[in-house]
Amino acid sequence: MRDDRTAARRAAARLEEPVREAGRLARKLGLDPYRVNYWVVTNDEMNQLIAYDGFQSRFPHWRWGMKYDRQRKQSQFGLGKAFEIVNNDDPANAFLQESNSLADQKAVITHVEAHGDFFANNGWFGLFTDGDGQTGPSAGTQVDRDDDDRPRGPDAAALLERHAETVAGYMEDPEIGRETVERFIDTVSTLTDTIDQHSAYAEAVKTGEDIDPEDLRERLDAMDLSSDVRGQVFDEEWLEERAEAEAEARLDEPRRDVLAYLREHGMCYDEETDRAVEMADWQRETLEILRREAYYFAGQRVTKVMNEGWAAYWESLMMGEERFAGVDEFLTYADHQARVLGSPGLNPYKLGKELWEYVENTTNRREVIERLLRVEGVTWRNFHEAVDFDEAERLLEPHPTIAGAGPDVLGDLAEMAANGDPRVDPKGVDRAQSGTVDPEKYPWELLTYEGLAERHFSLAKPQYREFLQRVSRERLEETARYLFDDERYATIEEALADVDRGAGWDRMREVRESHNDVTFVDAFLTEEFVRDNHYFTYEFARSSGDYRVTSAEYEDVKKKLLLRFTNFGKPTVNVYDGNFDNRGELLLGHEYNGVTLDVEQAKGVLERAYKLWGRPVNLATIVKEYDEHDLEIARRRNREPTPRETGRRIRFDGEEFETHELDTQIEERISASEVDYDTKPEEWLA
Amino acid sequence: MGLREDLERFREVGEERREDLTEFIEHGDLGGSGPDAVRVPIKIVDLPEFAYDQRDVGGIGQGQGGTPEPGQPVDPGDDGDEDGQPGEEGGDHEYYEMDPEEFAKELDEALGLDLEPKGKEVVEEVDGEFTELTRSGPNSTLDFERFFKSGLRRKLATDFDESYVREAVRVAGVGPDDVFHWLREQNVLVSRAFVIDAWEGAPDHDRWASFEEMDANVERETAVERIRREGLNQIPFRRDDERYRHPETVTRRERNVVVVNVRDVSGSMRERKRELVERTFTPLDWYLQGKYDRAEFVYIAHDADAWEVEREEFFGIRSGGGTRISSAYELTREILDERYPWNEWNRYVLAAGDSENSSNDTTENVVPMMREIPANLHGYVETQPGGTAINATHAEEVETAFEGDDGVVVAYVSEQSDVTDAIYRILSTQEAE
Repeated sequence: MRDDRTAARRAAARLEEPVREAGRLARKLGLDPYRVNYWVVTNDEMNQLIAYDGFQSRFPHWRWGMKYDRQRKQSQFGLGKAFEIVNNDDPANAFLQESNSLADQKAVITHVEAHGDFFANNGWFGLFTDGDGQTGPSAGTQVDRDDDDRPRGPDAAALLERHAETVAGYMEDPEIGRETVERFIDTVSTLTDTIDQHSAYAEAVKTGEDIDPEDLRERLDAMDLSSDVRGQVFDEEWLEERAEAEAEARLDEPRRDVLAYLREHGMCYDEETDRAVEMADWQRETLEILRREAYYFAGQRVTKVMNEGWAAYWESLMMGEERFAGVDEFLTYADHQARVLGSPGLNPYKLGKELWEYVENTTNRREVIERLLRVEGVTWRNFHEAVDFDEAERLLEPHPTIAGAGPDVLGDLAEMAANGDPRVDPKGVDRAQSGTVDPEKYPWELLTYEGLAERHFSLAKPQYREFLQRVSRERLEETARYLFDDERYATIEEALADVDRGAGWDRMREVRESHNDVTFVDAFLTEEFVRDNHYFTYEFARSSGDYRVTSAEYEDVKKKLLLRFTNFGKPTVNVYDGNFDNRGELLLGHEYNGVTLDVEQAKGVLERAYKLWGRPVNLATIVKEYDEHDLEIARRRNREPTPRETGRRIRFDGEEFETHELDTQIEERISASEVDYDTKPEEWLA
Repeated sequence: MGLREDLERFREVGEERREDLTEFIEHGDLGGSGPDAVRVPIKIVDLPEFAYDQRDVGGIGQGQGGTPEPGQPVDPGDDGDEDGQPGEEGGDHEYYEMDPEEFAKELDEALGLDLEPKGKEVVEEVDGEFTELTRSGPNSTLDFERFFKSGLRRKLATDFDESYVREAVRVAGVGPDDVFHWLREQNVLVSRAFVIDAWEGAPDHDRWASFEEMDANVERETAVERIRREGLNQIPFRRDDERYRHPETVTRRERNVVVVNVRDVSGSMRERKRELVERTFTPLDWYLQGKYDRAEFVYIAHDADAWEVEREEFFGIRSGGGTRISSAYELTREILDERYPWNEWNRYVLAAGDSENSSNDTTENVVPMMREIPANLHGYVETQPGGTAINATHAEEVETAFEGDDGVVVAYVSEQSDVTDAIYRILSTQEAE
């Protein structure tokens, strides 16, 4: 970005302090973000960065031009400007819109710090760096970091820059040319979602003409199991059988990563000789570049709700509750937050934030209940009568000095620190007393993580006061079942004094390490959330020819929501055979979950897959067919017709499509039996 | 390489329609999700991918102020997540929406339009900048820039290419008068006297066989090129070019506008037509809201009868009845007379529909009423996807009745790409004050 603009420089200078302090606050709250470099950019620069997914350099392609055009029009016609964009890099880079007010900038900075923590600690992001994502000239370069114990995160800007240079090099090569390379990128792009985004990225390499079935023995050797274990679990006979079976079936397990398979075994069709020929080096390399980028971006695509919710949660805590927004900025911030969380539809910020709050509250409640059930005379049966909730609420309130930490109570805090109170940060108190830190502006400097956890304990917040009381008997019984030592405390007071106020936050950090959007929604979406937000499902009704509301039931909404997050919200298509029909044809299988494919688009993809395979390609799928007569009856009776599900194999031979009946064995292999994403009621209501 | 080039490439792909991508080019929506959101058509090239059948996959919606009952129809676009895939954009960013004033400014720039809203209520008069001009005044207020420009303009107007003229008089078989007429036809600002002098002083009269031949061989130099070459030595200043500045009297007006949006909701107004109306009306509302200090909106729905509705309902209503457009104008007149007196309000009456009306209603009732209801602008937007229908004559009849009247505009929208033109047409038409 251009540093020479005074406006930007001035804006940047104002942000130095907020950036430093937000980083300190985030770490105090238990977050562990990558270091973030902040840049202030103009609106046009912002539009460019968004077009490039948050980076300054990408491989040349018209797609970025399209995104830029859209982004520009969007901000031009007043449909929204971006506040910021941050990329997953180590150190991360965050770009802030120059026109943001100072309150906006502060909000965005706290938001970005939380994203930085998520990038660094979520396992799905880690899949890229754990794998081969780091290979390349700059791998292993040391960066200036304050946290040396963590392995280095991605070096994404450099990676994408290298990709850009490589592709640009092919385009400038007079033997290849821009048009050719761009068309090849178009071709591969139709398949960049068919990767195995749940595995670590491993570079795909050309393995030779014949397709070797995997012999498990090699893998076992590599695993370095003791011979005892190996002998017992995998005996030679079994291994032998398996190797043979695999050789015969070629691909016993479908291969999820279609792109890798094409990289390893794909060829391209040569018009002159009318046969499949080896791909050129530039083609293989370009394919791998696109595949590597697909893996790099997969992390953020499978965690959108979690990641945005995480950032919104910590932003709100820092800006609102820790008063990172100054008193005069608070209203501006409230407005900022309302705009972000308030936009209608399936808003990932709002959905994610509420799910995180649910994780926090239920964990805290469990912690409190476990303490209370250990009070003499309190059991799950009499819990609601035996516990005085008003008293419990009062006891859960933070210590007044902790809650009101600031310039007025410096003396008390110093005394507590002298007595070794773990909630008070003695260094912070020292600095405040000596005047190096302004305790009015940055009160969190006076407290430790423990102190902050007490100050923000969720069940003591007015909006969650009822949460404890509302616990169901089932939940109580379930909790009590695994408790021993259940007469530990004589009084409620004694029990609640032992409550670990950090339980909720600790759990949240665990969840952010291992979950993705599918598991997150599956585990934490509540009935309450669905009801309060008036979510409903809809389906296309054949009887009326339009879309109709089908259900507002929690289970149905959740089902549809999961469908939208599973596999990027797209159908799963795997490689089933690389030598189909013994003629070297490719067989792709659509794993049918009850929802059919868009066949027209699928044909478009097959045409392009043909270019990467060089020989005929097949797609096994299941289609729904409706009988004309049934449709007519359905329309008249206002009832939904039942489709007939039929297996189909669509084959493209380079010139035309043929549709065949699907072999029943393959049909069985691609059909999932248990899943049902249809939410239509049994009896259709008109 | 770089983004500029990517944008160029996209234009080429999108406009020249690279043949293998033709089928994937579509005009998509660029829309906010809120009820006030604007939709702007944009061009998208969507490569094919393995995707679910849109009809089979269903979706999730969010009820506004309540959960709808199963069986109720929904518009799948309503869930506000048009891409359908979370995280498609890759990066993480938050958005905010712009206000109507900013929108109006951007639209002015995008369409090359700068509508100066007319004011009605005079609020105060103050002394403004020294921008008004008079022919006499103290030297210090002489507007030299303007003075210089007038001189320069005069020079350009009286200047001509002398060498070109000297060649023209050497054409064989023509007299000085012929030369003068021909030169004037060629926009050479030469005087007859100069031509006669040149003809008499010419070394010969047979260098060129014809004017055409001469013109083809002699390069004409423009006045600007000549000034660049020779420099600007002589500017013919004249006393009557002098202008002296004096302070302008600025009248600050409060600008009130009322926009009456009328929409046909009868049975023939199907989904596509309805959507085109919304696409046209919403940016217009935004624009006018941004231009005026105070903007109010009236929404009238009609079939054979007319009734006033809230904005939220306006684009959603569908009724089964027939159509009588005059019913809407009757109600418009009533509402305007009662609430928005013409001497205080700028009025825009914008109606939209598929041009189908009950017989003779347009000529007998609507047109006279449009004449009677005073307004800055009466507009009719015909939304007829895929061109015209046989009964759809309302727009034409209105257009014929008001031909040459710049207070009435008729625009035709048959597909999304017409929307911008229609908006431009409507906004650039305004009755002269």
